[in-house]
Amino acid sequence: MKASVLERIRNIEDLPTLPSVAIEVLGLAHSPDVSIQRIAECIHQDPPLAAKVLKLANSVFYRRGDRKVETLHHAIIFLGLAEIINIATTVSVFSALAPGKRSEASIRESFWDHSVATGLIARHLDKKLGMKSLGREFVAGLLHDIGKIILDQHFHAEFMEAYRVSIEQDRAMFETEMEFCGTNHMELGYFIVQKWNLPEYLADVILYHHQPSHATHQAMAALVSVADLLAKAVTLPCGGDRMSFILSDQESWHVLKDRGYAVDDLDMERITFEMESIGEQVRSYISTVMEPTSPEYVHG
Amino acid sequence: MDDKLRPAYPVMKDETFILLRDFIYEHSGIYFADTKKGQLEARLMMRLRASNLPDYDKYYYMLKYDPQAARELRALFDSVTTNETSFYRSPPQIQAFQEKVLPELITRREKKGERMLRLWSAGCSTGEEPYTLGIVVKEVLKNALPDWNMRIVASDISEKALKSAKTASYSEYSLRGVPPEIKQRYFNAHDGMYQMNEDVSRLVELQYLNLSDTKRVQLMKGFDVIFCRNVLIYFDDAARKRFVSQLYDSLNHGGYLFIGHSESLHNISRAFKLVHFPGALGYKKE
Repeated sequence: MKASVLERIRNIEDLPTLPSVAIEVLGLAHSPDVSIQRIAECIHQDPPLAAKVLKLANSVFYRRGDRKVETLHHAIIFLGLAEIINIATTVSVFSALAPGKRSEASIRESFWDHSVATGLIARHLDKKLGMKSLGREFVAGLLHDIGKIILDQHFHAEFMEAYRVSIEQDRAMFETEMEFCGTNHMELGYFIVQKWNLPEYLADVILYHHQPSHATHQAMAALVSVADLLAKAVTLPCGGDRMSFILSDQESWHVLKDRGYAVDDLDMERITFEMESIGEQVRSYISTVMEPTSPEYVHG
Repeated sequence: MDDKLRPAYPVMKDETFILLRDFIYEHSGIYFADTKKGQLEARLMMRLRASNLPDYDKYYYMLKYDPQAARELRALFDSVTTNETSFYRSPPQIQAFQEKVLPELITRREKKGERMLRLWSAGCSTGEEPYTLGIVVKEVLKNALPDWNMRIVASDISEKALKSAKTASYSEYSLRGVPPEIKQRYFNAHDGMYQMNEDVSRLVELQYLNLSDTKRVQLMKGFDVIFCRNVLIYFDDAARKRFVSQLYDSLNHGGYLFIGHSESLHNISRAFKLVHFPGALGYKKE
């Protein structure tokens, strides 16, 4: 990132911020002696956050079995601390970036669709490959392009130009972003999640999702990179990104293979067919996170 | 349940759908997405009746465990494949051919100074597919087409289908997926039928070919793109593997194979590289 661009970002006063409770929860997650009680208490300080976390914990995306999770305490026991942190992170980022007003510029709309699709596909592949990323792959997939939101908000004209040229000349977004904005969505995403103090793996995956072999968390960066491509292939974006690719030639594919994951045994045709109907899940996820929470969830 | 409330036809449970879907995929390579449950249910209803079975679970167990099920498998595959064909069928595949594959092949050939392309529509039925390819070729090459040595071989096992393809005359229904401007540019309407323009139809060379005739198929060489959609299902596993390996040999290096939109080569061949196009899969011979 150019010094002048960094300066410009630092000087932006209205960069999105995370709710203070979220910051505290995420901080707690790093501390060695964290207890379920302590996390639950912490989330409870922010009732809308608590309600959303419970709602998501009971949604089809996280729910296990028929039992409804009634309290945060139970949610943490059932889903595990890692998933609760994942959910709290997701809910907080969504609220900070206020996506969703579906009437907004189309790039925002397709941005969240693509992000959620990438998260869901990452989760699916994680299961198929037995990577056991504990749901972190979903959050990483969801947030991999977060820098684009900041670009859209604070470098709007330049970003739109980058977007246009990328489509016209069939070039990668990160290239045209660099040309017009002096930075790209990986750098900006890295900058913002560090500023928010989100877990370190997220910053790493965001920065290197186009070059996973450079990442510290190589396997996860590679997984997100594959999911990113697949999401583009199956969700048929209108205009732009009408790319074609050979998965087995990708850097991400080789990273996964070198790290011992049996990618060549994956039935990619079948996975692709399965993911073709992902649109419904994406819409359902977005509405679960976005819609106002009913009062029944606030108690407990 | 009160008999009056009982539906007149059996309902496919979600679990049964998944069992049947997996079974069909494993044995044929054809995948029924969740959204296609209704379609599968409707198609299998006939098989249920023919086999005199009360519900889909019983049908699944018969397929899986009855030693006589091989014959039923044949009938099942016949009922899950739609034999119908139309212009611009599976648009994302045609789009991949038009926007990615053809430009790539043209550039490569031009660099070598060889203005020649060979396409094969294997199992062309009444001609909608090869003529669609012809239209696309004309759309992409435009005025440069006469400078190219372009041949689209279209083969089928049905003499009747080939005869119909030769007339190159189609109903409104066959053209339902054709964009209006294409329809206007490439067809002449008369008496409620649409006649394919000569400048497209003469690109297409129709021929009789039985795809399980390995000796004859062996003679098919030097193709840049092969469309062989919804054909593999008619072969048993061993024949399918043999045939796909023949298709591989029929392709030039850098050439592409397209199979049906929901078909998979995963359990059949690893010789190709799987290519993801927007909304469609293709196979490349490197």
